[in-house]
Amino acid sequence: MTSKVTINRLSTGVPGLDDLLGGGLPEFSFNLIAGQPGCGKTTLAHQIMFALATEQRPALYFTVLGEPPLKMLRYQQQFSFFDPAAINRSVRFINLCEEAMAGDLDHVLARIAQEVAAHEPSLVFVDSFRSVVLATDAGGHAHNQLQRFMQQLGMLMTSWQATTFLIGEYFTETDANPVFTVADGLIWMRQSVQRNAMVRQMEIMKMRGQPSLPGLHSFRISGNGLQIFVPALATPSRGGDVASSRASMGVPGLDEMMDGGLPRGYSLLLAGPSGSGKTILAAAFLTAGLLNGETGVIAAFERRPHRMHNPMLARAIEDGRLGVVESHAPDLSIEEVMQLLSVEIRRLDAKRVVIDSLSGFELALGPSFKDDFRESLLRLVTSLTGMGVTVLMTSELEDRYTDLRFSPYGTAFMTDAIIVQRYIEVDSRLRRVLAVVKVRDSAHSDQLREYSIDDDGIRIGSMLAAHEGLLGGRPTTRPAGGRAREG
Amino acid sequence: MNSQESNRFTAALTQRMAEDANSRQIADAIGAMWADIEGALQPVLGRRGVAALFKRTLHLTATRHPWLAALRAGGADSTVDLVELTELFAQQSPAAVAEAGCALFTLFRDLLTTLIGDRLSERLLQAAWSISSRAAPAQDPTP
Repeated sequence: MTSKVTINRLSTGVPGLDDLLGGGLPEFSFNLIAGQPGCGKTTLAHQIMFALATEQRPALYFTVLGEPPLKMLRYQQQFSFFDPAAINRSVRFINLCEEAMAGDLDHVLARIAQEVAAHEPSLVFVDSFRSVVLATDAGGHAHNQLQRFMQQLGMLMTSWQATTFLIGEYFTETDANPVFTVADGLIWMRQSVQRNAMVRQMEIMKMRGQPSLPGLHSFRISGNGLQIFVPALATPSRGGDVASSRASMGVPGLDEMMDGGLPRGYSLLLAGPSGSGKTILAAAFLTAGLLNGETGVIAAFERRPHRMHNPMLARAIEDGRLGVVESHAPDLSIEEVMQLLSVEIRRLDAKRVVIDSLSGFELALGPSFKDDFRESLLRLVTSLTGMGVTVLMTSELEDRYTDLRFSPYGTAFMTDAIIVQRYIEVDSRLRRVLAVVKVRDSAHSDQLREYSIDDDGIRIGSMLAAHEGLLGGRPTTRPAGGRAREG
Repeated sequence: MNSQESNRFTAALTQRMAEDANSRQIADAIGAMWADIEGALQPVLGRRGVAALFKRTLHLTATRHPWLAALRAGGADSTVDLVELTELFAQQSPAAVAEAGCALFTLFRDLLTTLIGDRLSERLLQAAWSISSRAAPAQDPTP
């Protein structure tokens, strides 16, 4: 016989957690949820319980000392997942306060065993484990007693075929705690405060038998419970004919400069100084899509898209052809933005995405996420283009005439195409020029073209052939023979 | 709490009592009903949790039925002594017992509802109702 046991994986009902665990929660596993007070352990436990418990798969929730059950019920019912109708049907709360107060772990264990035998639950929660441990401290030989308790509890639950969660808070990671050895899964929850932002993060420190995602992953608690922001899987694959069709930029003349438009599934970086018309070009890009029946999503971090000047876009937002991703949370992470974007993209089956602007985006992120901005941005871009959407990102570019830079983040390499806008001084006037710097696999124009902005948007003009040194910001008139502007 | 709910308490209580019941019988019915409620809530809220709620209820009820104040003694940990409770009730007139009993349960239910909401209170107390309804079958009103 070579057939191995198949471990069923339960879907936890917590957005992102299944991915984090490496494909769901192994059935009959013995898990520990640890973390400081207030980091959401009890909420996580309840969310999992209400998602999984059915009359055929009932849950027992043991409350030990710690939080009084009355209060726990009072606050937990505020979450949308809390279903009063499930209580005493698929979910049963049992208070072990008396047994724990007596300080005898054997009594606690006996009572748990008795209730498990009576109700035959498929899911068991013990909240909080800390109080079980504290209760033993008085005895002196707490460590041994705890270890025995853990092993017996682990054995009991596995043989009763119950997926078990212990909720505890006192643990330090370096502790050689017996709980860690016995547990099949270790979910560690943290909250860190940096300046005025608090970031909640979760780490799967151990999950036997399956590849959980390593590292810290931020999560948020809302009225619907926890939502974990798992990094988007970087899938740099593109559909076969993606590059063959091109998306119009919506600006007359620009498509020709780009060898027919922006190849679909490409990412474009639009860099330029303040006031150069980046948002207008981005709006034209979205409008061109809408005119072609393509839905879009805009992530706006500077101006509020609902107060958009472009009436067509404002209408498209109203009638749901253009999705808006906006967040002003002080602890925003790139993963969360990606999550928000992908939800909108799927909802609308969007073809075009605009991020306006990367500079605003970086400012909007929580302080602790800024260090990894480039890495996360690269993941974001690859994931978006991996979804098959065509992406336009704007980037504020400080006008420096001594060097030619396209983005303050060194992000230029990660995009497939770059358009740069600059100011130049000609005849005591500030004029604008743009150039297509890069379009991967395309014979794009190398011209530096003047453009103007009027009520109809961006109007691309001619090259300033009579001048040279434009990128230096102070062009000089070309000596005779260098003929004036061509038409 | 809506009137339907308080009726339910009264109904459950009257179900346990014979018509023309004397104070002792009503007191026993109140005691039995409280035991059912305790039985339904204690596993979830713990013995002390339920005791704390009941003490608060007694305190509130005693403002209108001062004779109940005699029961208020006892430490934080002590639970309600059912014998003492029924004894005290049995000493009052049947009308006073019935009224105080109803007030007690109504206030208790109100308190629970304030803390954990109507739906959850209802859900948790359902076990107590089902025991109550088993105790004596509902009778059709006499024509």
